[in-house]
Order: sequence, then structure tokens, then C-alpha cells
Amino acid sequence: MKNKLILFWIIIAITVSSIFVLYKKPASLGLDLVGGSRLMLEAQTSKAVPNITPEIMDSLQYAIENRVNAMGVGETIVQRIGTKRLLIEIPNITDTAKAKEFIGQTAQLEFKRPAIAFDGSTTWESTGLTGKDLRKSLVGSAPTTGEWMVELEFNNEGAKKFSDLTKELQGKQMAIFFNGELQSAPRVNEQITGGRAQITGGEGGFEYTEAKQMVDLLNAGALPVGAEIIQEESVGPTLGQDSINKSKIAGLIGIGAVMIFMIAYYRVLGLVSCFALIIYAIINFAIFKLVPVTLTLTGIAGFILSIGMAIDANILIFERTKEELRMGRTLFTAINSGFDRAFTSIFDSNVSTVMTCLILYYFGASLVKGFALTLIIGVCLSMFSAITVTKNFMHLIFGSKELKYPQLFGLRKEEIQNAYVAKETKREKAKFGVLD
Amino acid sequence: MANTNLIKNNYKIDIIKFRYLFLAFTGILLIPCIAAIIYLMSTQANHAPLKLGIDFTGGTILQYSVDKKVATEDIGKIRTNIEAVGVKNPVIQTTTQAGIDNSDVKNLVSIRTTFLGDKESKDKANQITQALKKDFSNAELVQVNSVGPTLGSELLKNTLMALGLAFILMVIYISFRFQVEYGWIALLTLFQNAIFVVGFFAIKGIFFDTAVDSLFITAMLTVIGYSINDTIVVFDRIRENMRFLAKKHSSSEIINASINQTLARSINTSSTTLFTLFALYLFGGSTIKDFVLAIIVGVIVGTYSSIFTAGTILSIVKEKMAKKDAQ
Repeated sequence: MKNKLILFWIIIAITVSSIFVLYKKPASLGLDLVGGSRLMLEAQTSKAVPNITPEIMDSLQYAIENRVNAMGVGETIVQRIGTKRLLIEIPNITDTAKAKEFIGQTAQLEFKRPAIAFDGSTTWESTGLTGKDLRKSLVGSAPTTGEWMVELEFNNEGAKKFSDLTKELQGKQMAIFFNGELQSAPRVNEQITGGRAQITGGEGGFEYTEAKQMVDLLNAGALPVGAEIIQEESVGPTLGQDSINKSKIAGLIGIGAVMIFMIAYYRVLGLVSCFALIIYAIINFAIFKLVPVTLTLTGIAGFILSIGMAIDANILIFERTKEELRMGRTLFTAINSGFDRAFTSIFDSNVSTVMTCLILYYFGASLVKGFALTLIIGVCLSMFSAITVTKNFMHLIFGSKELKYPQLFGLRKEEIQNAYVAKETKREKAKFGVLD
Repeated sequence: MANTNLIKNNYKIDIIKFRYLFLAFTGILLIPCIAAIIYLMSTQANHAPLKLGIDFTGGTILQYSVDKKVATEDIGKIRTNIEAVGVKNPVIQTTTQAGIDNSDVKNLVSIRTTFLGDKESKDKANQITQALKKDFSNAELVQVNSVGPTLGSELLKNTLMALGLAFILMVIYISFRFQVEYGWIALLTLFQNAIFVVGFFAIKGIFFDTAVDSLFITAMLTVIGYSINDTIVVFDRIRENMRFLAKKHSSSEIINASINQTLARSINTSSTTLFTLFALYLFGGSTIKDFVLAIIVGVIVGTYSSIFTAGTILSIVKEKMAKKDAQ
């Protein structure tokens, strides 16, 4: 009895600290609940880069992270998926088209010199001076016209290349290409040694936003390879909030219906399971916050389903206990063997659920992963709540008393029979249901 | 003797006596499901047993929230407007849901097109939004899902692999924990459940153009896990009873008693799970309705098969084995 009380207080302590966690730690909600975009980028091979190596992915990820951060929209995630993909999560963004354009641009800056093509026309050829040679870039305005322009500052190597190039091209044109597009082709009047250059917007000049975007892209660094968006999920904030509200209501109604059913059918036992269920839900959410599990719509579905499974463990135990009572066991024995005998069922069935969830977690896309994770946590926790919490409560309530009112268990008096026979049975045998 | 009570008094349904009847009934229920699956496999270009969503085929789905119910004739208008901006064969579907208050998203219009993520079709999404706004001025783009075609086929491959792996693991686990014949019968009931759920959505696909996405596969795997739960509970009881009663009773008697002993549990458990699922279906997020529906169907057929299929087939197998032993 003393052990039972200690266990009871341990359960209460865990519950109270879980409530504390619930109050203190903010929930992390998935994009489908707060609204936002999830983009999957795939690195594209080209003639120049036939293989995507981990190093290329590193620099691609670095550049993309810089860009996403430059958007200044809060907590973004850039994550490597497989060997050539990046998953980007941007919360709270509504204009995805802009984000996509910003992220997907390769941002290749190149300085080119004039050359004569085979057919005699003038073209541009690469000089080896590219965006890699930049130290930084700024938005500036031309002192005379006030037009917006992009100011470039080269690093040491870049400054030397630029100085050599301007020396070579004196009196000729030099072209600046951005993403394969000719931005401007100023005439080089003299050698420039200071390591600085400007890009003007050609006819009509740059819009401020245009110049700003180019600067951001240049500062974030060029993508080492082309990257294409192969998957996109965007959820507007309205739908996200709507989903949260609806899930709350659905969850409350669902749990409420389950509780009413349990109390109506199993009476006192049902009431015990309701308390166990509340404790289960509290601890479960605390674990979600501690891990932390990002709650998505499917994750919530997984949680609500796990409630069903947690209740299943209780039902198995109660049915077993009732059966034992019907067969004439004393209350204490009935409760104990109810638990013992239901355990294999609960264990085997939960192991099979966890196995499917692990497969889901391993193979599934991110939405599916959320579901699998919450269900795994729920199922494992339900073993604890059903077996430890419910059993403890039942022992504390009923102790080793006789069952005077079978109605409390949803049993009729005439169903209880042969109580005398059971007492005669040896304990080990009774445990396995052998009555002689 | 308390033992006799255990076997004789507890029959609520005599499963074994009518086992062929139950199996025949199950067979009849399976016919429309299999027919729908075969129909889709023979008529669809990709030979899939279900209408596949963009997750597997690639494509883009734009979902809009609108403030009024979309009538059937509106769908035609929307289609014309969207085709006018150069989008070929858009699939337009609407969902209506009871909301709690006015701020809720109640009416959804979803427009499915080919993949709009690549560079050529950058502005297409905007054009579609504008086209929709001609009829629904306050239409709001609430969700975009876009999957490139290569990723689509990859997801399909992974998914089928996950399903296959789940099946195999279940059989191995049950064979290990129980006996080999239990494993095979569990696999058989799993197949049966899968056919019911897939068939249900195939029929829904034929009549309502419902396409399945990767969430559906999640639902399928959940259903597998869940119906295995049910089957295991029944098997566990049979295993236990076999251990102690096998000398006094035939296997069929034991199986019959076991199913009856677990009957209340099977029904109560499914009921409580269905309570939560129906709450999710009726009041939960509008975008996961089909997902929840798939699980609902799966839970119902899972419970059905754990009562009427798993035990009955096991009794037939055990009787055959007993006859063989006797010879």
C-alpha cells in the first residue's frame, strides 16, 4: 500500500511538472497551422557541374540560408534532404511567388569582354572575374542623375583581376552579366585599381527594389549550381488559424464523447480511465513541447488517434477485470489478473503500431513524419498511462476491499458467481485462468 | 466447474457455426470494391487502382476559400475562365463544411492543374487567381501544393515500398509471437482490409473524382497498424485459451469462445476510436477530411475482419491441420 501511495505522488508530480511545461514553453506549430511556405529545391546538374558533390550542396545550402535570412521573415529552416535536395520552410509568408523568385535565382555575376564570334558578329566572352571575387555589394545612387545603382567592392584577388581587366580593355566596352542577362556595358576609359565598380541599370535605370534584390543576392552569394523548385506547399494564415480552431473543437468533442461513453459503460472504472486520460493528454502535450514536436494538422490527427488507442488499453483491461469478476475472483485478484492478462494484447498490438509508425517516419514526407511521430509518442505513453496510472488509481480506490456493488463496474449482481471456487484456486494457476 | 461457463455460456454470436455464411457475406462486400479497382486499373493510363493525386503524378493544387457556396453551374464558369488564361484541363472541386462561426473557412474551391512550379508557368497561378476572382471577388488563396513530376513518381515508389515493408514486418512479428499460420491469416485479413479501403476510395474516385495523396497512404498504414491491433487481441485470446483449454475442447470451440470473449472489447474500442475520428471528420480541419475518412473506413473494416474473418479462417485452418494430424 505504501508503494502504491509513493507511485501515486510520483504520477501527480509528473503531471504537475507537465502542466508547468505546458504553461512555460510555447508550442511549435507547423506551417500548415501558422501559415507559410515549404519549398523543396533540387540541385540541377549541368555540363559544367555533372555531379552534385556534398561540397556543392554545402555551398548551395549556405547561399540559400543567406538568402532566406535576408528576407527577414522570422524563423526559417533550410534542411538537407537526401543527396541533392534542400527543404526550405518559411513561416508567415504570404507572397510565395516573390520568395520563390528570390530563392531560385542562381545570382551569377560575370564580367565579360567583347569577342568576335565565328560568324563575325560581336559577342561577349568570360574573363574569369565573377561574383565570387566580390567582398560586398551595396545599393547606391549615381551622384549626377540620382539613379539607383549597385555598387560592388571586390576582394583583393578580385581587385587585381578587375585592375588587369580594365587595363586590357581600355577604350573598349566591358559587359556585366547577371544571371546570363546583360545589365550594362560601360566603356572603360582608364585602368581602375581601387577594386570598386558600379552596375547601372542601363536605359531608365534600376528600380530601388530591383537594385536591392540584386545586392541581397550578390551578398548572399551565388548558387554554385542551378536549383529548381520541385515541390511547394503554401498555406495561408487564414486556413492555418481555421485548422487550429477546428482541431481544438474536434479534439474536445472527440475526447468528451469518449469520456461519456467510458463512464456510461464502465462506471467507476470509466471514471478512473477518464482521469488517466486527462493525465495522459497533459503529459503527452508536455512531451510534444519538450522534444519538441512541431505540431501539424496530421500530427494532431495522430494525437487524437493515439487517444483512441490509449483508451483501447483501458478497455482491454476493464473487460478482462470484469470477466475475472464474473468468474468469481475477488476484487483485488480480478484487477491484478485483468492487468496481467491484458498486457500481452496491449503489448503486441502496440508494438505493431509502433512498427508501422517507424516505417512511416522513415519513408514518409514531412507531413507524414509528423503524424508518425505523434502516434509513436502517444502509443508509448499510453502503455505507461494505461498500465501504471490506471492500475495505481484502481488499487488506491479499491484496495483489497470486497466488491459490494458490482453496478459500479457496470456488472449485474447475478453475473457474479462462484466466488467461493476462485478462492480455493492456487494463486499461480488463477493467474492463468485455470480453475480446478 | 467454472470452465464450462467459459466456453458455453458466453456466446453472443456463434461465429463458427455460421462461418461460411460470414465469409460469403464478406466476399459479396468485396465484389464492388474489386470491380471498382479493376475498372480504374483498366481505364486509367497509369494503371493505378486509384485516382492518383499530385503527390504521385506531379501537378499543382490551388485552394481558395470563398464566401458563398459554389453551385454546379459556377464550376463550369470557373473552368471557362481558367481555360481562357491557357490552363489546360483544370480539375475543379469544391468542399463545403459546417463552420462554428462566420470567420471559419467553409467553402473551398480547389483547382488542380499540371505542375506550375517551373519557370515557364511562373505567372499562371496569379492568372488563375484573377480568373477566379471574376466570379468570386473575395476568393482568397489559402493553400498551394505543387509537386514536380519526377518527385511524384519517387514518392509513389517510396510509398509502395513502405506499404510492402509494413506488411512483411507484421507477418514476421506475428509469426514470431504466435505461430506461422497466424501470421499468414493476419496478412490475409490485412489484404482484405486494404482492398476494402482502396475499393472504397476507388468507388469514390469514380463517382466524385476523389484523388488520393500521400496522406491516404498514411491512413492506409494507420489502418494496417490498427486492424492488426484488433486481430492481435483476438489471436492473443485464442493463444491463451489454446494453452489451457486445448485438451478439453476443439480448436473451433476455443476460437468461438475467444472471439466472443473479446467481442465487447472489439466493439467498444472501435466505438471510442470512431468517436474521435467522427469528431475530426465533422469538425476538424477541412483539408484532412479524406484522410480521416480513410481511417474511419479502415477502423470499421478492421474491426469487422478481426471478428468475422481472422477467427473463422483460423478455425478452418486448424481443423484441416487437426485432420491431417489424425491421419
